[in-house]
Amino acid sequence: MLVDPPIDPPVDVVIVGGGASGLAAAWRLAMRGRSVRLLEQGETIDQRAAPSLGPQWERALQSRFHGNPNIRRLPADYPVNAADTPIQPASYTALGGGTQRWGAHFPRLRPGDFRVRSLDGVGEDWPIGYADLDAWFDLNDRMMGVCGVAGDPANPPRPERPMPPLPLGPGPKRLAAAFDRLGWHWWPADSAVATTPYGERGACNNCGPCGVGCPRLARASADLAYAGAARAAGAIISTGARTLRIRAEGARATGVDYVQGGIQRNQPARAVILAANGMGTARLLLASASPDHPAGLANRSGQVGRNLMHHPTAMVTGLFAERLDGHKGPFACVLFSQQHIESDAARGFIRGYQFQAIRGGGPVQTALGGYMARVPWGRGHHADFERIFLHSVSLTVTAEDLPEPDNRVILDPVLTDSDGIAAPALHYRLADNARRMLDHGIAAGAQVMRAAGAVDVVVNPFVAAAGFHFLGTARMGTDPGTSVVDALGRAHDVPNLVLVDGAVFVTAGAVNPTSTIQAIALRNADALADRLEAA
Amino acid sequence: MTDRLAALLATLIPGDADWPSGAIVAPVVAADLAGVEAAVLAVLPADFAAGDEAAVHECEVALPAPFERVVTALYIAYYTDPQVRRVLEARTGYEARPPQPLGYELPPFDDALLDRQRLRAPFWRDPDKESA
Ligand SMILES: Cc1cc2nc3c(=O)[nH]c(=O)nc-3n(C[C@H](O)[C@H](O)[C@H](O)COP(=O)(O)OP(=O)(O)OC[C@H]3O[C@@H](n4cnc5c(N)ncnc54)[C@H](O)[C@@H]3O)c2cc1C
Repeated sequence: MLVDPPIDPPVDVVIVGGGASGLAAAWRLAMRGRSVRLLEQGETIDQRAAPSLGPQWERALQSRFHGNPNIRRLPADYPVNAADTPIQPASYTALGGGTQRWGAHFPRLRPGDFRVRSLDGVGEDWPIGYADLDAWFDLNDRMMGVCGVAGDPANPPRPERPMPPLPLGPGPKRLAAAFDRLGWHWWPADSAVATTPYGERGACNNCGPCGVGCPRLARASADLAYAGAARAAGAIISTGARTLRIRAEGARATGVDYVQGGIQRNQPARAVILAANGMGTARLLLASASPDHPAGLANRSGQVGRNLMHHPTAMVTGLFAERLDGHKGPFACVLFSQQHIESDAARGFIRGYQFQAIRGGGPVQTALGGYMARVPWGRGHHADFERIFLHSVSLTVTAEDLPEPDNRVILDPVLTDSDGIAAPALHYRLADNARRMLDHGIAAGAQVMRAAGAVDVVVNPFVAAAGFHFLGTARMGTDPGTSVVDALGRAHDVPNLVLVDGAVFVTAGAVNPTSTIQAIALRNADALADRLEAA
Repeated sequence: MTDRLAALLATLIPGDADWPSGAIVAPVVAADLAGVEAAVLAVLPADFAAGDEAAVHECEVALPAPFERVVTALYIAYYTDPQVRRVLEARTGYEARPPQPLGYELPPFDDALLDRQRLRAPFWRDPDKESA
């Protein structure tokens, strides 16, 4: 039996999670005149004081800005049991969520990604298509401030970008020439980085480590793009506020219990939005089990937590005799290739993968290996270090994962966060199809590196640290027996509970998901505003 | 204990005419590890001396997880050390300064690089057309 905590004044919508999706939804609802309260367990980060202003910025990247919550262990982080998955979690806990820590590579899912079953006979089709999101993609691009160049033949047409693309720099420039030589696709990335002043944000000065925040505010994060605008429209954004459970009576969510400053309270609301990311959202639904919802909230289908998809990743690094100055310029959002993204049965796997260029890192990251093996210790250490440092450029092989019911998030029976809520436990196996895709990508990536003039090619066949994307754990669909939410993110079992994050993805595509997540968040929030207005 | 740690670090990153050895950051590594290194040092031979790579290899095999933590702490401390950063600057030109506020020049994107790609016809699959 739950004890009733003190009750806050009711709002139209309470949003759990202040990351990429939650903040976009908060802005849209507040703009539409709804009263909104957003609860974020992390704190606000002042990027104007980013660690890249000081000598210990690489130490920050390995500690409080580490992508893995089990290593970072901020007080607001929840632990993750990752013993039964080869892919370790990467996320961030603060206002802005993962976009505090991200690479700002901003591709969109492609039209075929919404029709995987129809096109290729695997996975499931989405109940929405690219056209349903088109206008929301564009709106989100304007809010986030995206640079790039229109005309990419691998993607549907999109408006001229408001800012020119990032310069390639020496390493990616060699890769571009190699792709051209092979007759393969490449294009400058759409990046959530301001290359010219954008509103109150300064232009990028090519400093490199976007992952510790940007003191010029050139690299977008969801807090920069949306939090101020949401507040200006009347939204209340509370940080250090951890949601413990969603309350529901029958088929109606009534609000959330949360703890802030050690005090438990209840925030009642006409509607609840969950935006805690594909791992945190599934966890909270399962942790909100009640007599009316014994298997977890909105889990009559048994699908909550299932179909967890990442983007399995391999890394191909070219070492060059010439200096490539990989420390200059945003790390991971300058160039991509979708040459092998569409299905081709001759390749021995279904669906496809994307290449994403990755520059070199600073000295600590180089020594520790980044997404590669670390530089060996011992007599050859400095020679090996100098062979790589400033002389490398990499390609990720970012593979499409397909939904598998046994890849899932469950509640750990033992591990809890500091408020006693069960931690998520991840169970995941790499599918044979994805493995074959990675192997193809490794061979193709090595071909690119050789065509680019690399003197050596080093491969990491499987990047364990690449658990950046948590998708599919409460998927959308029309059938309440096989999906958790409908095409507008409404939980089938609890229609005033709306999901807006990557949990609702039906399939994963082979591209970084945040642009699509935010487009969905804006669309679902807008539809919720319509419903609240009409009621 | 401190001498043994310094000897271990000097084996992991030996010094030469230019580079200082890992031993220069022993106090920082000890503070970062807060005791994790004790188990690693305990399995090294009693007469362990800097340069004994065979003994360190055995230790890496015997205690992979704590050993990895020692190496990680060393690499972080070493490559953020001001003296090491000055050597790095002298040898590679990588400036011994933080990335900000100076950053680097942001040259314009060279649009001519796209000449070849612009000739390519759209190749994304349109499910509406395929199913029509
Ligand atoms: C190192 C790294 C690099 C990345 N690079 C890219 C990239 O280049 N391009 C790209 O598209 N994506 C990238 N991503 C992924 C991107 O960050 C995520 O896709 C995106 O942030 C997901 O948005 P979200 O709103 O679903 O979740 P998040 O942004 O993770 O936000 C969820 C928020 O919910 C909060 N929360 C969770 N549980 C609770 C609770 N119980 N109570 C209150 N608050 C809670 C969390 O603290 C968090 O702030 C990267 C991620 C990482 C870690």
